[in-house]
Amino acid sequence: MSRLLSVVSSLALWVSSALLVASVAIVGPRRLYDLWNDARRRLWEIRVPFAGLVAVLIASAVGRSSLQTVSELFGLRLTWAIYALEGNFVAWLQTTFATPQVTMYFSSVYVYGYVFLVAFPFIAYLALPRAATIKRLLVAYALNYGVGLALYTVVFAHGPRNVIPEMVTSLLFTHNPDFMALTGEVNEPANVFPSLHTSLSVTVATFAVLTRRKYPLWTPIAVWLAASVVVATMYLGIHWLTDVVGGTALALGSVYLSYRFVDGDADRAEADDDPDRSEGGEATSG
Amino acid sequence: MGRDRGSQLVLEIAAPPADTDPNAIRIARHFAENLNAVGVDARISTLGRTDLRRKVLINHNFDAYVGQFQESEPFDPDAMYAFTHSRFVTEAGWQNPFGLSDVNGVDELLARQRRSAGDDRREAVHALQQTLGELQPFTVVAFPDPLTAVREDRFENWTDRQPLSVGGLLGLERAGSVAGTEETGTADGDETADGNDTEDGDGRSIDGLELLGDMPLTDDGEDADDGTLRLVTTDERITENWNPIAAEYRRYGTFTSLLYDRLALIDDGEVVPWLAAGWERTDDATVELSLRSADWHDGEPVTAADVAFTYEFLRDTSMGAAETPVPTPTFRGRVSAVESATAVDEETVEIAFDDVNEAVAVRALTVPILPEHVWADRTAAASIAGIEFDAETTEAVVTNNEDPVGNGPVRFVEATPEESVTFERNPDHFLRRSADDGATSEDGTGPLAEIPERFRRKPAFDRLTIEVMGSDIAAVQAVGDGFADATVSSLGPDSVTRIGREADARLVAGQSGGFYHIGYNARRAPLSNPRFRAVLASLVDKQRLVDVAFDGYAEPAASPLAATPEWVPAALRWDDRETDPVQPFVGESGSLDAEAARDRLREAGYRYDEEGRLLAPNP
Repeated sequence: MSRLLSVVSSLALWVSSALLVASVAIVGPRRLYDLWNDARRRLWEIRVPFAGLVAVLIASAVGRSSLQTVSELFGLRLTWAIYALEGNFVAWLQTTFATPQVTMYFSSVYVYGYVFLVAFPFIAYLALPRAATIKRLLVAYALNYGVGLALYTVVFAHGPRNVIPEMVTSLLFTHNPDFMALTGEVNEPANVFPSLHTSLSVTVATFAVLTRRKYPLWTPIAVWLAASVVVATMYLGIHWLTDVVGGTALALGSVYLSYRFVDGDADRAEADDDPDRSEGGEATSG
Repeated sequence: MGRDRGSQLVLEIAAPPADTDPNAIRIARHFAENLNAVGVDARISTLGRTDLRRKVLINHNFDAYVGQFQESEPFDPDAMYAFTHSRFVTEAGWQNPFGLSDVNGVDELLARQRRSAGDDRREAVHALQQTLGELQPFTVVAFPDPLTAVREDRFENWTDRQPLSVGGLLGLERAGSVAGTEETGTADGDETADGNDTEDGDGRSIDGLELLGDMPLTDDGEDADDGTLRLVTTDERITENWNPIAAEYRRYGTFTSLLYDRLALIDDGEVVPWLAAGWERTDDATVELSLRSADWHDGEPVTAADVAFTYEFLRDTSMGAAETPVPTPTFRGRVSAVESATAVDEETVEIAFDDVNEAVAVRALTVPILPEHVWADRTAAASIAGIEFDAETTEAVVTNNEDPVGNGPVRFVEATPEESVTFERNPDHFLRRSADDGATSEDGTGPLAEIPERFRRKPAFDRLTIEVMGSDIAAVQAVGDGFADATVSSLGPDSVTRIGREADARLVAGQSGGFYHIGYNARRAPLSNPRFRAVLASLVDKQRLVDVAFDGYAEPAASPLAATPEWVPAALRWDDRETDPVQPFVGESGSLDAEAARDRLREAGYRYDEEGRLLAPNP
């Protein structure tokens, strides 16, 4: 237990430091100052999608173990189908690129980089004067989790390290057993399709591209980090390529739907008197 | 099994994922690859421990599976009785999961080895192994070295044989040098049995006899959890279920054996009178046992009626309420050797055996004794929503047995499902109570006269915690880092190299009875055909698997009794062989001769289509 506590506190420390630095460097002091003064109104404004996301997360936390039981009993057992489909791609990835430095990089990205990547947009988009983007982000996160949970239940499959252990080393756990204590708390080994690490990372990267005029500095960082997380899920032996493809599809679908659900124009009227508007419009629905 | 891809034969191989069992999945893939090479569409289905067991042992809804036999230690040949006798073909549990019907006289050989003794029994056991080798209801792959990582700075006297058996855990000693208490005698002596004498001698003079149970020596002035034995496992089942007879949840039943005493304990082949202080034969088939004075963990006394109840209950857990008996899914073979168990008085039981030899009779004494006042209420029919049961079953079989009321040397404290479980020493257990009762125990005539010295006044730990880890590698790491004292579950070859790197951890490779095997469902064609199964067996390169998948930490085997070589005829011993003596691998080491294997299948009457796919036989 103390091992878990130490990795959690280390994670909290590093990620909050990174958030602080990124907020100042990317969001900028002026927006942060506005956010600070206007925080209450802005949080109230996003209450509906925020409550939606919280509801999905609670449902996931509460229902996960019983849904897991349903999955064990009735889920499609696709481990072998996935393996037959893609063969030893993950093994190839590992044997081709594995070095201790690369493993260290991907392990860190998988744990620290991912948490930062998913957390930072909350601050960045809340700091925008108009609420459309943050609302869409919340909706997209909720969709990722909700649909992801449904797919976890429908599909019962184990990841590469569980099927081809002699070819795919469980690198995260082999080199960083501390991380294992953490991810063991969060992850169920039979939930590999789709990769939620992939889908949330790709969601963030997609938003970063769509809002590149607001945060030009964030776009390349987010895309780089997201790509690293995606590769890390496979490089570390946790996910199949199929899971990554599924996760990417889930991400793009969630972003698309979030633009359908949250109307940018309605929001624009509300923010009409905002001087910040001159900085540039939101990217429009894709 | 089905014909969904044209009419090609499809075989599903059920196996646990690598996190659960690092070796089984490699056997499954080796087997699947070679099956594919001979034109079978083999698919592996990875399943968690309980799902796998439920599918195979309870629902019999499988084609083939890869798993381990449920005996942790080398075992008596009679273990094959339940595993292969056709009388159990309709029952759920560890009894004949293959659906093997009585062909080639297996039943008669099983019965003969039960009845007879000496050379006659040996002959029957030899013939049995030969027949099973030809019939291949299951293909024995290898006996693994049960690898365990232990550290000795807090507890010592780990046996190299079976460190995680009941006897191994009870034989542990508190490490004197690190505990830093008044226990001075132990620091410099490797011979811990002697050290123990000194400790207890001191203890008695300081604390007095009565206090020993409740106030362990090291409690005063020491860190509170210093006396906690901390184990780590990848097997979460002991944190959820404490039912000693549940086939899906027990691996070897070590911890439920610490909760529930048996009449006799078999430790390293030695029979130790346990809950029964002793026994004598009253006639050819009857034994009278006198029980030790003991209490259940809830304070009720353990009586002869509990013992009589247990044997009747395990034969039919519905106690006559169900239309057909619902026997226990584990210990079935042992119970079937007992004709009746009768309480003569409060402390005396008479057990009548069903014409069996002494080894089988002793084995029948090694079932967990259950409290009648708890289990008599669990005879009602049970079904769990969503979980199909092929046959009628009872509460007793499916209960998680929360807050277990046992009588063993440890009792249940608390558990967090999938995370951890805590047990504590039972201060009222006879190992402690009797030892403290009188000085007579030292001169060999006291109540513990038959109990080896290493078990007296045990267990040495105050508490026993078992924490669940995500993988064998993490478990080894926890031992190496000093977060745990030993690993419980099987370790794969990847974790072995890590033990060497950890200065304080040591690798123990003992002896196992839990052989890896591929089991076939003989209820389904073409697996019902022994000739077909024989060809499947010849697709398994056991030597290669041991070298590669087990990294040498296993012994390839042809016979399920290979752990007890004295029972194996020379023709079935592996010794220095390259391949199986009965079902030799088709090919040279490592590479399958697929064409030769296909020819064998053709000879056995199976057909291929023009694309080389093996056709499923018509029903």
